[in-house]
Amino acid sequence: MKFNQLILFLFVSLFYLNANAQKFELGKVSLEELQEKAHPVDTSAAAAILYKKAKTYFIHEIGTGFFVYHDYELRIKIYKKEGLKWADFKVHYRGGDENLVPEAVSFSDCVTYNLENKTIQATKLRTEGNLKTDINKYWNEALITMPNVKVGSIIEIHYTLKSKNVVQFPVFDFQYEIPVNYAEYDTDIPEVFIYKPILTGYLKVNAGSKIVDEKESFSYKFYQTSDFPFKYQLSNYKAENIPALKEEAYVDNLQNYRSSIQHELERTRFPFEKVEDYSITWDGVAKNIFDFNSFGRELNKDGYYEEDLKRIGLNVNSEFERLDVIFKFVKNKMNWNEYKGILTDKGVKKAYKDETGNVAEINFILIAMLNKAGIKADPVLISTRENGVPVYPNRTVFNSVIAAVEIDGKQILLDATNKYASLNILPLPDLNWTGRLINKDGSSKEINLVPDKVSNVNINLLLSINGQGKMVGNARIQKTDYEALNFREQKSSLQSERYLEKLESSLGGILIDDYKLNDDINLSSSIIESFSFVSNKHSDVIGGKIYITPLLFYNDTKNPFVENKRQMPIYFGFPKQEKYNINIEIPPGYKVESLPESVKVSTVDGIASFSINIMSVGNKIQIAVTKEISKAIVSADYYDVLKDFFQQVLDKQNEKIILIKV
Amino acid sequence: MKIRILLLTVFVGITFSLKAQKNEYSILLISDSLKVNANAVVRLNQIDIVISSQRNMTISTKRVITVLNEKGLSAIDAVENYNKKTTVKDIEAYVYDGLGNEVRKIKRKDFKDQSAVGSSTLFSDSRYVYLDYTPTQYPFTVVYESKLETSNTAFIPQWYPVSNFFVSVEKSVLNVDCPVNLGFKKMEFNFENFNIQKINDTPTQLSYTASNILAQKQEDYSPVFSFVLPKVMMALELFHLEDVDGSAKTWKEFGQWYSDEILSGTTVLSEETKAKMRTLVGEEKDPIIKAKLIYNYVQQKSRYVSIQVGIGGWKPMYANDVDRLGYGDCKALTNYTKALLEAVGVPSYNTILYGDSYKKDIESEFVSMQGNHMILAIPNGNKYTWLECTSQDDPFGYQGTFTDDRNVLVIKPEGGEIVRTKLYEDRDNTQLSSGTYSLSKEGDLLGEITIISEGSQYNQKAMLENLQPTEKEAHYKKYWSNISNLKINKTAFSNDKENVRLTERTEISAVNYGNISGGKMMFALNAYNQYTGTVKRIRNRKNPFEIQRGFTDVDEITIVLPHEFAIEFLPNNYELKSKFGAYKTEFIKKDNGSILYKRSLFINKGMYSNTEYDEYRVFIEQVSRNDNAKTILTKI
Repeated sequence: MKFNQLILFLFVSLFYLNANAQKFELGKVSLEELQEKAHPVDTSAAAAILYKKAKTYFIHEIGTGFFVYHDYELRIKIYKKEGLKWADFKVHYRGGDENLVPEAVSFSDCVTYNLENKTIQATKLRTEGNLKTDINKYWNEALITMPNVKVGSIIEIHYTLKSKNVVQFPVFDFQYEIPVNYAEYDTDIPEVFIYKPILTGYLKVNAGSKIVDEKESFSYKFYQTSDFPFKYQLSNYKAENIPALKEEAYVDNLQNYRSSIQHELERTRFPFEKVEDYSITWDGVAKNIFDFNSFGRELNKDGYYEEDLKRIGLNVNSEFERLDVIFKFVKNKMNWNEYKGILTDKGVKKAYKDETGNVAEINFILIAMLNKAGIKADPVLISTRENGVPVYPNRTVFNSVIAAVEIDGKQILLDATNKYASLNILPLPDLNWTGRLINKDGSSKEINLVPDKVSNVNINLLLSINGQGKMVGNARIQKTDYEALNFREQKSSLQSERYLEKLESSLGGILIDDYKLNDDINLSSSIIESFSFVSNKHSDVIGGKIYITPLLFYNDTKNPFVENKRQMPIYFGFPKQEKYNINIEIPPGYKVESLPESVKVSTVDGIASFSINIMSVGNKIQIAVTKEISKAIVSADYYDVLKDFFQQVLDKQNEKIILIKV
Repeated sequence: MKIRILLLTVFVGITFSLKAQKNEYSILLISDSLKVNANAVVRLNQIDIVISSQRNMTISTKRVITVLNEKGLSAIDAVENYNKKTTVKDIEAYVYDGLGNEVRKIKRKDFKDQSAVGSSTLFSDSRYVYLDYTPTQYPFTVVYESKLETSNTAFIPQWYPVSNFFVSVEKSVLNVDCPVNLGFKKMEFNFENFNIQKINDTPTQLSYTASNILAQKQEDYSPVFSFVLPKVMMALELFHLEDVDGSAKTWKEFGQWYSDEILSGTTVLSEETKAKMRTLVGEEKDPIIKAKLIYNYVQQKSRYVSIQVGIGGWKPMYANDVDRLGYGDCKALTNYTKALLEAVGVPSYNTILYGDSYKKDIESEFVSMQGNHMILAIPNGNKYTWLECTSQDDPFGYQGTFTDDRNVLVIKPEGGEIVRTKLYEDRDNTQLSSGTYSLSKEGDLLGEITIISEGSQYNQKAMLENLQPTEKEAHYKKYWSNISNLKINKTAFSNDKENVRLTERTEISAVNYGNISGGKMMFALNAYNQYTGTVKRIRNRKNPFEIQRGFTDVDEITIVLPHEFAIEFLPNNYELKSKFGAYKTEFIKKDNGSILYKRSLFINKGMYSNTEYDEYRVFIEQVSRNDNAKTILTKI
């Protein structure tokens, strides 16, 4: 696994990079840039960012304290019609909810450049193209739509975001869905703030920094104002010729691989105040989060669930059964309002009474009830898949919280927000990287969230085939663990008749009858489907012979990996095993002419394997096939291996059973 | 202390009386037939529309919905749009459990408020309020009440007693009150087969009650629900829209009003721009050739942006603003093109329609504000040439599948007129494929093919040229999903906009296309055009089914076989004819050992009954079975 190549904490050297600083400047659009017909490196690019520069700096306002300013400049070239959408540019920013000072966005010097009769013509953005919207309670959107933009145009955009949020800077992206020729980011940070810059992606970024002296006028407690000598840390990050970010198959979250820099506040050290730790270590993060009222205090609240607990579970003796009963109770009683977060919103008591709540409320209720019932349970902070990877200790990486229980030295993870989840079977978005378990004393430890337990699909087919190639038979399909969770989630969104229609067409158009489903989450984490089927399509009758593909309508037809190169890790979600037992009765008057050879194929390091065993006994053919993927996610280094493996499996699966008339 | 206790008592008392049980909402009262196929039951949906004057209308809704499972949540539909001219006076909801006990009251402040800006609209001053409720149990019942007030009487909401699939209706009521002098009118659709009673129908009052309507299933290839389910359209002859009064009894009058009040004065251009246009067309006299030059100019210069503000939702931006800014929505770009054409003496007309790949008509028998899109009509002899002004790529006069073959309203200065847009005939929607491929002794395929698409098939292919290389590859891998291990070696396109014809030339290869086992090689001769659209079996289909556009595919492919193998089996020629179309394949052995494969597939457009659906499914199954017919070679 080479994930470490993806995320770097930048040890910024004290070597400041000054070269090229003046290379790009607003308004200095060249004739060559305007005449360029296609991007010199990526000719398929619809547009390109010729340069992007940003600077983050602090201004101290007497009475209100520090504001952070983020200043952005972009020059964008439009090569094709598909690139015209870059002429509409949006910035999202925080509204003024709760105690926050609202953020402000201002655009200036936004200009479209065109070439008209070999001269450069500039059209400025006026107020009519600058619009603001309150999206909802929390977010606003500033939008500009640039005038007079056509294929060949160059657009320059300049805007400043003013914010009171010193904890986190907006992420600076080096990489976009179009190529970026040059990107540079400067931060001028007063010494009272210590940030941790974190670089993600595969890009090589040059970084450097230096310390300079300045003076700053300060007003602090008791409204005293005085001048302080002040040091600033100036840092500079730059990269050139950044390729467009492109989709690949089997990727967990493309955003994890975008080259960007995040800044998280680590410490503040104001004069006359004690140093304040914001993150630094995972323990620091854990402690910090635990100290929030809507975390630690809500977690420990009681006096709202006791009666129910008495009723359902206190008399159950076995710890494991008690856990099961309480988990099912909370999962059935509580309804998730689809809000994530590591903190409670309306509080556990109100949530319990309403029977609805966010992730923190529901799982805190679960944890409190388990602890009361004598089962040690603790919260685990996690970052869900769409939220990205928690790379470095800080408070803002986590967006959800689940529960961990230990029974007989074995750890069990629980998330009661999903009705289809069960013990150690978490909703799929939870299965991302690692989480952080927080103990009562605020200490913490890392918890692996990537599942290693294999989920199974067992398929049994019993069928007979007649001389016209028509197949009639019965199927029984069992799905366990994550395969069962997936099935339940997909099926819950479909009407039962539509589910059958979908199943029929996904199984190569067989006709299904007598469909039965054994699916009770309270009884079993696995599901069993059974049905009878008829198919006219899964054999070829040619010149007195019948040709059959051993896996029938479960035959794979495509290699999932077709690209020649791979950069991102390959994501399978969870380890899985598919087992097929197929029993075919051949028509009277026919015998087996040939059978595909039995064989086993597997990759290095046991990542994937495939075996097929075929034999004929009397008028029956027995086929046993096992397909297995043993890892949830593997490094891109295995790409070629996997590609070859799937190809071999595909070719093997397509070998035919041939029956001939006696 | 005493006072506090007293207050508390009173408070509890009030709470208690408010939380009284509403037995009428108990699910026990729902008849079994209404639960069949239903995810939700509309217990009551009462809409009261009171038009007090030409400039004032209130719409009150009381909706009682019993949601049986989570798929029925959308039937609550507790959302209201508002803007400067439409205000939400009241909005609230009560939640009851299955037995009719009140469990929650949701006041206006607990509704969420959100901007209508979305993925398709860049900017809008419209907003909406919506109910954000997480159910704690099923079934439950929501009583939703709202009241809207608006001055835009040009839009009276249409009445749909059934507005969702898989939802049954116990009772749905519409009441309309209107002053006698405003010319209220209505039109009923698809009432037959539904239990709808007209209670009142006078010049000032209209009311209906629909009751006991069973849940409707959604089925593939069905016409849209407004075609099969009941609805009532309503309108005023004297109406109001965004500070403009209007009056129209006929399409002619409506068009005149639109032209005078909404469009007039919007096509002013600077002298400089006019002069530029005159230079552009030069000495050209033919209005259509002039229009072609102007259309090309607009396509190069402008881009489509959706910005909906105030009357801008109905009135185009000024042409000189579009000229300066280079962007606009459909109305703005249509109007701008019209202004440029005016400058070179070519008359043209704004045209209102429903833009949708599902063909939807302006209801010609009912004069009212309709449509969601605007294009431009240029008189061309006794016909019109239609211009889609939001596209930077469409060939001149090409209508694709977004505006073809439907009734539209052409706005002329002397009045409006309903016209039908261009129909692309089934036999003209062609795809002609010709090419060759060879198989090596290992079964590896190497081939090249030329595909020419015209008519409505051009529409699907025209964007190919502009796709990113990875997207192009994805397209071909999907198009030739029958060829595993497909590799695209080369693609080239030529887009003949003059004749609306797209030509693709592609070179491909694929290892192991021929499947070798036991000295035999097996493969489907038809590698290039297998019909993959499966038609699902639908149990007890109720709806008619519709094929909106027919097409014609013709293939001629030469297959070069490996020398090391001889033909053991070649499929028979096959021919199939039915009311849905015709299919024919031919396999011809050539002297040099190669095979010529000929195939044609013709599909008729049409509206067919529910019982014909299964015949169609079998027809398509035959086609796809024969497309996949295997050939066997034996090693010599």
